[in-house]
Amino acid sequence: MQASDSKKAQQYYKHVSLFWTDLLYLMMSKPYALAAAGPMRKFGTNMKKLTTELIDSNDDLVEFNSKLTEYYKQLTDTWAEAQKQFSKKIPEIPNDAEHLEASKRIWIDIFENYFTTLFDSPKFAENFGKLVASELELAKHWNSMISELLDNANLPTKDDINEIYKELHSLKKRIVRIEKDVNHGTVKRNGK
Amino acid sequence: MVNELKVDPKLVEEFLNINKNIFEAPKLVRAPDEINMDMTPYDVAYSEDRVRLLHFRPTTERQIKTPLVIVYALINRYHILDIHPQKSWVRNLLNQGVDVYLVDWGTPTNADRYLGFDDYVNGYIDNCVDFVSKETGEEKVSIQGYCTGGTLATVYAALHPNRLRTLTLTAPVIDGQKDTTVVGNLAKHIDVDKLVDTIGNMPPEFMYFVFSVLKPFEQGLEKYVNFFKNIHDNDYVENFIRVEKWLSDTPPIPGELFRQWIKDVYQENLLIQSKMYVGGKQVSLKNINMPLFTQVAVADHLVSPESSMPIHYAVSSEDKSLQIYTTGHVGMIASSFSQKRVLPEFGQWLKERSNK
Repeated sequence: MQASDSKKAQQYYKHVSLFWTDLLYLMMSKPYALAAAGPMRKFGTNMKKLTTELIDSNDDLVEFNSKLTEYYKQLTDTWAEAQKQFSKKIPEIPNDAEHLEASKRIWIDIFENYFTTLFDSPKFAENFGKLVASELELAKHWNSMISELLDNANLPTKDDINEIYKELHSLKKRIVRIEKDVNHGTVKRNGK
Repeated sequence: MVNELKVDPKLVEEFLNINKNIFEAPKLVRAPDEINMDMTPYDVAYSEDRVRLLHFRPTTERQIKTPLVIVYALINRYHILDIHPQKSWVRNLLNQGVDVYLVDWGTPTNADRYLGFDDYVNGYIDNCVDFVSKETGEEKVSIQGYCTGGTLATVYAALHPNRLRTLTLTAPVIDGQKDTTVVGNLAKHIDVDKLVDTIGNMPPEFMYFVFSVLKPFEQGLEKYVNFFKNIHDNDYVENFIRVEKWLSDTPPIPGELFRQWIKDVYQENLLIQSKMYVGGKQVSLKNINMPLFTQVAVADHLVSPESSMPIHYAVSSEDKSLQIYTTGHVGMIASSFSQKRVLPEFGQWLKERSNK
């Protein structure tokens, strides 16, 4: 119930925000056109994309927070369980310097055992996988917004650079192949 | 009424001693940045992009002609194989008269995100083998792959069996589904497509997280307490700082290589089923017909022995050995145990199968 209310509120907020951005753009676009050659023109046009990206990232932020909460819950629950086990053991060990090392060893062994069991479990890995995935979704929004800003400033975006990297990679492969053909199947470059 | 807190004076003394050691540490120990990680002298025999082929200078007369090319892992740098004069994998082999080459992958940058298995296996490794073969005049070379380097070496051996005299795999990741480590558990649940498409290369921070959950209390707490306790023991401290520096130098893994690695080895488990494709060719493990030596460690918490051992049964080699050591992943290559047990056995095995 609460989740659907918050979804509705979010949709409403998104609608209001887009409504005003669109309306202001329509109202402003004509006098705006006077400064058509400046860098602010593109920014004005693309402002809406930034707003949409920001609003959409809220959904992923909610998902990220829920996975992060689960992640810390798993850690604290495991800590509490391990501590309980240790507390049961500790009265059996005399409290003096000779037995300090033994107490420490027991503490480490118990905690190590509980936490390794957690990290080995599918429930931890599943949540961790989803936590990383939701973080990557946030990174995607961030990348899109940065790309938008770079594009406005007529600078290359991440996609533009990736395209160059890809081209570079394929060119290097072709060069090595040609070099091998020329040198009858052997490599000659030497780093000495 | 006053509550009396009874504390053993020996405990107080120990606490004060550790505190004293913490304050003295900067005067006694070199900072990691001040340490040169290269121990045994080498020449850079060949280089391509960021990859270097190191050729170690001999320490004694060579006893075998067939050179050994070590394919290091993709995680961290090669320095662990030459971490300390008394624990050096490389130096021990040189002392046994082996001609040692080592592939250093360097540190990939964002521009390397499209490098994949094909580039590493059919490009870099093949070119290194080619170079060594030409330089030494030996038609075939021996390869040893460590950890993920073992996986790369396996793929290379399956695709280029005629180039190899012998193959040694030290804790290789082969059957991802059988891997019972935390690394395997996380690898099976990661959305690798999303990670590579969004970020590019696998960031080192991701590996640091994986390291931190391996043995969180033993490695994250106990070892630092021991470090300060042993601050006056020069050998202990030197080894500790060198290993710590090695642990903190984790290069990124090229995106496409990481993608295929996670999918084909861990998630879809194609390698052990001989269903993996590299450079358009099927990686059939039955093509591996040269002498094979597989080394695994029972206490390996990075690559479980169950994940490595299936290679022994998947190949068609008639001459094959499987050795299980009672040590860990790093202990197998950089410890007193490896010097006394693992390396002499490996050296002997090589000698019996190499050109003299």
